[in-house]
Amino acid sequence: MTETGVAGRTYPAVTFEIDKDSVAAFAKAIGADPAAGVPPTFAAVYALGATAPQLFGDPDAAIDFAKLLHAEQEFEWMRHPQPGETVTSQGRVASDMSRRGIRFVSFETETKGADGDGICRSRALFVIRQ
Amino acid sequence: MTRTVTFTKEQIAAYAEASGDHNPIHLDDDFARSVGLPGVIAHGMLQMGIAGTVAAEAAGGGERLRRLVCRFSGMVVPGDRVIFSAEPAGPGKLDIHAVNETGEAVLTKSSAEYV
Repeated sequence: MTETGVAGRTYPAVTFEIDKDSVAAFAKAIGADPAAGVPPTFAAVYALGATAPQLFGDPDAAIDFAKLLHAEQEFEWMRHPQPGETVTSQGRVASDMSRRGIRFVSFETETKGADGDGICRSRALFVIRQ
Repeated sequence: MTRTVTFTKEQIAAYAEASGDHNPIHLDDDFARSVGLPGVIAHGMLQMGIAGTVAAEAAGGGERLRRLVCRFSGMVVPGDRVIFSAEPAGPGKLDIHAVNETGEAVLTKSSAEYV
């Protein structure tokens, strides 16, 4: 196991509005009741989705999208955001290791509310065949 | 608590639109084949979204979920019928399973916690 790429890199925080129409479309796509509020896994959008493009677009990270697999995902919630709320998400490469031609990138995102209170921690494990 | 879902290309495309994940491996059969896949595959995050609805129901409401962990262990392609389940695993804990019609687990080591 050797350290590679962009371990420890932190990307600029991204502001994201929890728009009620986007929430409703997401709820419908996963078969959730749109009347039941923000689906917990909308974190795929406001946390992971808001920040992962910074990693994928980082030339130093050099991630070949065609060889990328999303192997694991964890969300931990302190609370769930409300429609209309604006949150801030910040992504960080927790680790970036290679072993036997396979690269493992652990990407963590911390989402906070307008007053800085914790909402969600996201941890994605990406596996990239080399 | 279980939910059975037969995946379709339309549903995968709707998830791509709603989530903003437009990776062509989920949308374009020719592209997916060019990178060694059998054709388009469902997003792992779509599977997790469905698993999350089952976990939320088992927990007594999505607002009670505090943690959800999924390991994407198998590919899901259009036409696959997958049974998602959430079983009690102690106070405030759920084990999550998702198995396709051939008995293969598409999610493994998956779990949820709630308050």
